[in-house]
Amino acid sequence: MFEKILIANRGEIALRIHRACKEMGISTVAVHSTADADAMHVRLADESVCLGPAPAKDSYLNIPAIVSAATITGADAVHPGYGFLSEEASFASILEEHGFTFIGPNAEHIDLMGDKVAAKKAVEENGVPVVPGSKGALETAADARKTADDIGYPVLIKAAGGGGGRGMQIVRSADEVEDAYRMARTEAKASFRNDTVYMEKFLEKPRHIEVQVFADGQGGAVHLGERDCSLQRRHQKVLEEARSPALNDEAREKIGKIAADAVRRIGYRNAGTIEFLYEEGEFYFIEMNTRLQVEHPVTEMITGIDMVREQIRVAAGSPLSFEQSDITFEGHAIECRITAEHPETFVPSPGRITDYHPPGGMSVRVDSGLYAGYTIPPHYDSLVAKLIVHGANRNECLMRLRRSLEEFVIGGIHTTIPLHEKIIENSDFVNGDYDIHWLERFVAGDIADN
Amino acid sequence: MANKFDIDPDLVKKLAELLDETGLSEIEFESTGRRIRVARPVAGSAPPITVNAPPAAAAAAPSADAESQSEARIGTPITSPMVGTIFLSPEPGAEPFIKVGDTVSEGQTVMLIEAMKTYNPVRATKSGKVVQILVGDSTPVEFGEELLLVE
Repeated sequence: MFEKILIANRGEIALRIHRACKEMGISTVAVHSTADADAMHVRLADESVCLGPAPAKDSYLNIPAIVSAATITGADAVHPGYGFLSEEASFASILEEHGFTFIGPNAEHIDLMGDKVAAKKAVEENGVPVVPGSKGALETAADARKTADDIGYPVLIKAAGGGGGRGMQIVRSADEVEDAYRMARTEAKASFRNDTVYMEKFLEKPRHIEVQVFADGQGGAVHLGERDCSLQRRHQKVLEEARSPALNDEAREKIGKIAADAVRRIGYRNAGTIEFLYEEGEFYFIEMNTRLQVEHPVTEMITGIDMVREQIRVAAGSPLSFEQSDITFEGHAIECRITAEHPETFVPSPGRITDYHPPGGMSVRVDSGLYAGYTIPPHYDSLVAKLIVHGANRNECLMRLRRSLEEFVIGGIHTTIPLHEKIIENSDFVNGDYDIHWLERFVAGDIADN
Repeated sequence: MANKFDIDPDLVKKLAELLDETGLSEIEFESTGRRIRVARPVAGSAPPITVNAPPAAAAAAPSADAESQSEARIGTPITSPMVGTIFLSPEPGAEPFIKVGDTVSEGQTVMLIEAMKTYNPVRATKSGKVVQILVGDSTPVEFGEELLLVE
């Protein structure tokens, strides 16, 4: 087992990883930018190394600095968290070349799933249902037109090199295709330096349902259930829940098994999430994330499994601690992502926290690096806390969530706590009746009040 | 959407009058989701601000003391441009680049820093006299760590 792990990330996830390490008796090294010198996880870690100035490219994306930090501290392994270098295959390779273990899948699988066209092909070959679409990249506008006609409108043109909604164009009729094709390629090139685009059927009101998988590269592979992450604003998840209110046990067991079988077949190792769009009873693969996800606590709460601990164990060479038959699902969990933004205008609100009082009590969990007196730096994303609540069933969970949000105090900045309080009062949400467009409509005021 | 809090001017006036009559400095009234506070500014009445001191753990990178001593220290620090290991000489066994008392000019190489098997120069960011060398040979350092003082 590792003696020392370097945490190549910041904020709440760095603290999460630190905690898992300490519970396993593993020393931690916190690497950080100058702007994060006072971060909670930096204060708590056994050692810390300043990587560089605040901009991510000089610090959290600075591979030579991180590898040097691992060298001078004598770390055995590096956990990349999420975002930053967690899905950068070259980071995984360079670490391995220098004798450090990268806590995650191997570089080939990171590469495979990073290329959205190749990923779709690979999972389709392994039994995963995919969105009907082009067979690979669209080379010309004429290609695009013909493919769209074949699939049937509306269609979506997507960038192969990345996600997050950039480089995407919805096309509703034949005469729009060629312009949309050209725009998509231009935007893709600007966002990802890769102008390869492909096409898929556009689903009007799908839900985003993802399946957590875990494999050990030694034949062991399981699914840990699904999460419903349909509540999104600008392609960023805002609230996630498990289990999905839209699925029955038969559907979730079926898709879980498909996901676990696929990762076993490709020899995948460590944690991953397979994301689907779900509409009218059908699942459609969109992408696989080869890392731990922000919303992993929701799965931890319903399965009782510490996923970061399991990541570390698998990376150290152990087989999975459990088989599918060992995994049980209890109750319901919801996570609210709390960001330092105005709850209505979403204008970012970095600054000094004057008061901080997180909610507590039974089955209430807060993952956050905040503390009273801490100043949120403006250089990074705005996620400042995750509130995760568990209940014996969805109703109990909602009651507990409402109570917890009311107790939560983050003074000195704006946060989206009031937005979450409004969402959970709305009858659509209470009924579990929402799709991936719902939150945008809610925020725009287009959903009727209760 | 947002709760409308209709301000009742009569209520406010009543509370203000109560303040005067009773000589109180502040009245706060709350009932089911609405709260109003009326206060008379009083000298020295600002509430004390408490800031929780978060737990401090050993934070320095190995060996070198990274904290700046702010008591009567002479000279400007030259800090590390990256994470790596400091070498005081151009090669093992050779004379160090600098010693205390030397005059250095801006841009002059004063130390080497090694990272991932490549050696990079640490350059003086100002001209002056070397007052103090803060790190030893083969010391691992972080970005921004103070290496020497130049006056």
